[in-house]
This record gives sequence, structure tokens and C-alpha cells, in this order.
Amino acid sequence: MATPEQGIDWAGDTGQVSRLRGVAFEVTCLAAVAFALVSVLVLLLYVSADALRPFSADPGWHLVFFLTLVVPSVSAALFYYRRDEPAGEVAYATTGLPVVGVLGAAVFAVVLDIELVTAVEMFALLVSALVAAGIIAAHARYRPRAAAERMAVLFGAPVVTILGVPPAEVTMALNAALSALGLSIEFGVRLLSLREVILLTPVVPLQWIMVALSLTVPVGAVLGGYVARVRANPRAGLAFVGGAVAVSALAPLVGPVVGIGATGWILLVTFCLLPVAVYVEGVIRRREGIAGLTFPLILVGGVVLGALLADLFGFAPPDPWLDWSFLTSAHSRTPAEAGFYPPIVGSVMMLIVIALSTFPVGVGAAIYLEEYAPDSGLAGKFITLVEINIGNLAGVPSVVYGLLGLALFIRVLTMPTGAVMVGGLAIGILILPIVIISAQEAIRAVPDSHREAAYGMGATRWQTTRSVVLPQAIPGILTGTILAVGRAIGETAPLLMIGAASSVRLAPSGFFDQLPAMPRQIFAWSTNLEPEIRHGVLAAGVVTLLVVLLIMNGTAILIRNKYQREV
Amino acid sequence: MTQDPQRLSDSISRRKFIAATGATGAVALAGCTENTSGAESEGLSGDVIVKGSSTVFPISDTFAEGFMNEHSEVNVTADPTGSGGGFKNFFCPGDADVNGASRPIKDSEVEQCGSNDVNPVEFEIAGDALTMAVNNNADWVDCVTPDEMSQIWRDGGARNWSDVRDEWPDEEIVLYGPAETSGTYDWFNSNIVGEDYQHTARHQPTEDDETIVAGIQDNDYAMGYFGYAYYSSNEDDVKALSVDGGSGCTEPGLDTAKDGSYPMARPLFIYAAESSLKEKEQVYAFMEYYLENAETDTVQEIGYVPSSTELRDENLSKLEEYNTGGTNSTDGE
Repeated sequence: MATPEQGIDWAGDTGQVSRLRGVAFEVTCLAAVAFALVSVLVLLLYVSADALRPFSADPGWHLVFFLTLVVPSVSAALFYYRRDEPAGEVAYATTGLPVVGVLGAAVFAVVLDIELVTAVEMFALLVSALVAAGIIAAHARYRPRAAAERMAVLFGAPVVTILGVPPAEVTMALNAALSALGLSIEFGVRLLSLREVILLTPVVPLQWIMVALSLTVPVGAVLGGYVARVRANPRAGLAFVGGAVAVSALAPLVGPVVGIGATGWILLVTFCLLPVAVYVEGVIRRREGIAGLTFPLILVGGVVLGALLADLFGFAPPDPWLDWSFLTSAHSRTPAEAGFYPPIVGSVMMLIVIALSTFPVGVGAAIYLEEYAPDSGLAGKFITLVEINIGNLAGVPSVVYGLLGLALFIRVLTMPTGAVMVGGLAIGILILPIVIISAQEAIRAVPDSHREAAYGMGATRWQTTRSVVLPQAIPGILTGTILAVGRAIGETAPLLMIGAASSVRLAPSGFFDQLPAMPRQIFAWSTNLEPEIRHGVLAAGVVTLLVVLLIMNGTAILIRNKYQREV
Repeated sequence: MTQDPQRLSDSISRRKFIAATGATGAVALAGCTENTSGAESEGLSGDVIVKGSSTVFPISDTFAEGFMNEHSEVNVTADPTGSGGGFKNFFCPGDADVNGASRPIKDSEVEQCGSNDVNPVEFEIAGDALTMAVNNNADWVDCVTPDEMSQIWRDGGARNWSDVRDEWPDEEIVLYGPAETSGTYDWFNSNIVGEDYQHTARHQPTEDDETIVAGIQDNDYAMGYFGYAYYSSNEDDVKALSVDGGSGCTEPGLDTAKDGSYPMARPLFIYAAESSLKEKEQVYAFMEYYLENAETDTVQEIGYVPSSTELRDENLSKLEEYNTGGTNSTDGE
């Protein structure tokens, strides 16, 4: 608060006016922040209370869990914070890692469940890829000098083992072209690939064995290699892989007992148990923060003890709308049976389409506009016009993009009404301007001095962009993209326009299936005949959508932090 | 699941080893495999896309759920788009297999369908008592005549309650009703408002009947109409008016709609595309399920009048004409 010492006409001479204004301004800003936070918080609490119904439980139930779960975990957290910070980090990671692992396993279980990729396909692809890699390696070993031949093998082997000669797609396209030309010739003769032979064999290994072979073994091998490297002991790595195989082999015994089936057990081992094992091994090896390893035990123990005690005293647990069956079943007209599984799967599949369609286009456009586009003369004026219009497009209402999707993808390209692909592409166009603008900002934030230094060392523009600009801009680009995709997941209006149905009870298994989407389902519930669906089930859907958003934004922050540290 | 031959070869002879591994391997393989050829499901699969009236939607949605419990591979999607909206935007362009309608299909819609080679097949599936509702606090009114409703709902008609009857309050009537895409709107327009007049545009139009209920609930002088199911699930929230069609005041209800004494009773329809019935087995099966169950109490629980046994049999024999006998292969193959 330095005031100029001289200056006759200045109103702040006395010092009082400026201070009052400053304080008033500060208070106003604080009030704005408080208002925003409090209103969002109240809304969230209100919705969560509807979704989880904590007051449907006995007060005794709350008391039991407060004593067995909240008190121990909070005191442990305080202890780590005050006395043993490394242990705190370990506690955080050992609690978070299984959660992430379970999420990963759940995603994979869904992929297998909707048959986006079946276990056989995965297995066949892996075996064929291994055979191809083996052929290439053998060729490199026995004929190390035949470089031209190696090129042929490098491309030929995968074609023979994975695609077939000629690839089925080529034959199909050729036949389609021939029939379009009015010729009645058909190419039927082709050499099947190893992958297709495996897919055609009537007898294949059980699902869990195929999943274990194509997921657990590679993951175990990679992690085992890591263990062998950090321990400088190949035996440790072998022991790790052996352990992984042994735990997987327990699947037919343990899986059904735990209630997740043999395949579920395999997925849990691959995504959750093995990474946690590697992390715990590291903690024990470094002998740092070992106390933190008890934290997950405190949590699990607290839950088990709490459940046992509540059962013993006969305290009724709460009866939330948002429970396991809500996440795993489809919409029903009976409120207690209504679920959210198809919309969750549909929304995630739509996100895949959105990400794959907007990221390359958006980032490419941003790189061109920032690094290559002319900035002077008539062409420069045109580019400025384009940039202004991209800014405008970011503000166009989403209904308009829905209409565009309807006209372009359904009427012109005759894609099926309400399909996952149509929804994804329509919303992809919607967030494209946002992706371009945020990527542009990220690229612009790279200091010009770095570019000039690269040019000064004789780098071409392509080399500068690739090895100087992009590595620094990537965290910003990714953050912007993920935040934009986060907005996309909640878009409802375009889905209404492209004819996404209000009740779809089967999760899509392909990108041209009917799209059930989370916001569409929530909108449909808001007009349901049953008051319990309008209030309770709807709230559960909203909370689920918010959690998915939270996970995505959390991922954005993690990615940003990781890259920022590396740069 | 293989054993390391190096370690074992010291103690056992090679031939024995091969025989032993061969045998155990065969047993292990047999135990660890599944037969993919038998796993082919014989059940139906594919999509059945249902659009159309929001009045019929609760019935279609319930049957979709029931049908999918029996045929888990068939994806029956239901969507309330309004009768007209469904015909115009989805059914006639060929994007939907079935369309619900709370009024018979119009000639212009038949024409539009025809230009896309879509041939609609009509089935009457249930009855509804169109319900005129007012706020719970509107104690001055219990019973209206169709002519009075026409005065209120016609373009340039009564503005205040007192314009209709002198003893009613001198307050503006706030109208909530379905949008023009709705079959309920069409039915009300041609049957109650009358041919000589136009339906007013002064009301708050919505395709969402719950919004109408909410609007009436919030305003003492409001009035609105919707299908009986939306009233029966909100019975405490709004007050339904009786209708005097010349033979005394009759309350809206399933029994009065069934015996025809309620003047605003109307039939509900679903339309199936002929090509879908013939080419898609799952659509035929769904329609069969739909028509059979339209006669059961399920429909009554939702809040509509189930179709009679004769109507059901008539519908089923009509459907039978489009049966291709299951000789057609599954969809798309």
C-alpha cells in the first residue's frame, strides 16, 4: 500500500480513501468466492443426501462407524501429518493405488461384458502378435545382413499372422467395389491368418485362462522386469512372475468365493494386486514410511469391525439409492431396481469417440495456427478472421451442434439415429473450438526465446515444434482437452437432437449401437411417473455423473503434474 | 501349465515323460477349455426402436422392460417424442420400428411415411381418460362441460375465469398443456375445442406431462390436461375435474372410460412399420408380447384401460398376417 509521497491532485493523499476502497474491493471478492463455493456445496450436499439417504440409518450405526472407522483413520492421518510425513505419502498411495486398480479392473470387466473386445479376440491377437514378433526376431538372428528382406519380414509377418493374405477388409472392399461396378465376380480365396484360425477353432481355453494369458502374464512380466532391475537380481523378477501366475491360478477357487467370478479375480490381480505388490516392495526396500502401510489396514479393519458391530447391535444400515445394484443394473420402472449401468458405459464409449475425434484435429489446428500460419498480409488477416470465428464457435449453443449432428451424420451420412458414434461426433464438434483455443494458449505460453534458441542451433521448424514447443505445451494441451471433455460428458441438448432414446436398457457393445447416456437418462428420470425415481434415483444418477467428472478432472491434474515435473 | 523338461529328464526316462506330459496335458486342456460352437445363442437379438406419444410411453417402457427380461439380447429403446413428433421425425423417415400415438395417424403422416416406403400397421392397445385438472385450492369448480372447455382452450376464447361462468373469480386462467407435437393436443383440439376453432397458443406447451402437473400445482388459477396415468400418479397434487357431456357430471377414471360414460375417453394406438414386422424377428416378437400384455392388469396399474379380450384377439390375428413364420434369418445376417 505505497502511496506516492508527492502529488497534489491525487485523491488518495490522505490515505484513507484508497484503503477503504481496497478493503471494500477485497471484501466483495471474498463474498463472491464464498457465495460461489457455498452455493455449490449446498447443492452437492442436498443431492448427495437424496442419493445416499444417510438418515435412513440408525443413529447407532453412525456412531459405530464413527468410532471404528472415522476416529482411527483421522487420528492415523493426523499422526502421519505431524510425526511421519513419508508414511503419510505411503498411506495416501497405498490407499489410492487399489482404488485406481479396482477402477481399471472394472473398466476392463465392462469391456469384456459388453463384448467390445472378447477374451478370445484378445488372446488370438496376442498369440498372433507374439508369433509375428518371434518370426521377426528369428529372422534378425539368422539373417542379420539381409536388410531389404528384413523390411519385407517386418511388414509381412504381422500381415500373415494377424490380418491374413489378403486381409479380410481388403477382400470385402474389393468385393463391394466389384458388385458396385456390376461385376458378379467374388474373391473368396484367401489365406486365413493365425488370429482368424484361433477365432474359428471350436475349442478355446476358458475365459479366465485366456484373460490371464493375455493380460496378467504380460503385465506380470513387465513389472517383474522392473523388480529384477531395481533389485539387480533376476531371481527376484522371476519370483514375482511366478507369484503372479500362482495367484492367478487360484482364480477358479477364490473368484466364485469372493463373488466376482474367476475372470474378475484375474482382472483384480492384474490391475490391483500386482501394482500394489510392486509399490509395497519398493516401500519395504527403501525402508521409508513403512508405518504408512498400516493405513489401508485401518480402513478395511474399520469397515469390517463396524459392519460386525452394527450387525451385532442390530443397527440398520442406511438404504441409499446409490448402491452396487444401481451401478450394475439397467433402468427399471420400479425405483428400487432402477440402475445406471448402460448410461455409464454409453457415456464412456461416447467419450472415447469424442477424445479420438477432437484431440488430433484440435491439436493439429492449434499447432498450425500458432506455429505455421502467416501473421501478416492478406493471409494473416484471413487467419485472424478464422481465429475470431473459432472463438465465436466456442459460444454457439449446444442445441445448434445437435442440429448439425442430426443434419450431417444422420441425414447426409445416414448413420443410425441415436447411435454412440453420432452422439460422440456431434459433441466432439461442440468441444472442438474449446480444444483448439486451449491448445493454442498452451502453445503460446512456450517462450519465444526457446524457439529462437532452437532455430539458432540450426533446427528446422518441424524439429523445433516437435522437440521444443510440443513437450512444453503438452501438459497445458492435455489439461485443456480433459476439461473440455469433462464439459462434453454433461451435454444433454445435442443428444436430444440426434434422437438418443430416453430409456435404453442394454449397454452398447459397438459404436453404432443405441446410445444410453448419463445426462439423457437423468433428464428422462426427471419426468418419470414415479416420485421416488424423480427424487431419489435421479439424485443417485447426478452424484454418479459428478464422481465420473471428478475422476476425469483428477486425472487431468495428475497428468499435468507428471509432465510438469518431467519438463 | 507346462513343466520344465530339463529338471525332470534326469530322473525319468524320456519316453515315460512324454507319455505322462501328453496325458496330463490332454486332461488339463480338456478341463481348461470351453466349446465356442455351442455357445451361439438361439435367442433373438437386435434393436427395437420405439418412439411416439408421451401418453403411451409408460406402457411401452413397461413392456420394454418386461420383454427384455425374457430376451436379454434384444435392445428395446423407448422415447417420448410426442405422437406427431415421433411420426414426423423418426417413424416415417424409417428411423423407428414402432410409434406410439394417442390419436389415429393423420393422412399427411401416412403420405410422408409412404414416400419413404414405410407402411404403418395400426393397433389399438388401450384406453385413456383425458383428464382436465386444476389447482387443489380451486374450490369454485368441480365439473365443466365440453363447451366450457372449448371456450377456455380456443384461440381468442375466455381469458378470465369469470368470462366462462359469472360466479367464478375474476382472475386470469393460466393454461398448461401439451405441445403441438403431442397426440393429446391433436385429440383435444379436434374433439373438444372443435373443428370451427383453433387451439389456443396462450398455454405453456410442453411434451412433459409432469411439468404440466407442476405448473398447475404452483398456481391457484391454473388449468391443464394430460393422460389419466399422469393424474393417477399425482392424485394428491392436483384436482381432476368431472365432465358433463349432457348426462350429468362424470369423474375421470378407468371404469368410466371403459364403459364410455366419461366424455373424454379416447383410444391409444401403437403403429408398427410393416417392413420391420416382416424383416426383424425381434420387432415381431416384441409386438406379440405388447399386444398380449395390453389386455392384462399391468396396463391398469400404469393408469390406463386395458384392451378387451376381443380387441386383443383381433390385434393378434392382424399381427399374424405379417408373420413371416420365422423363416427369415436373424437381423442383418
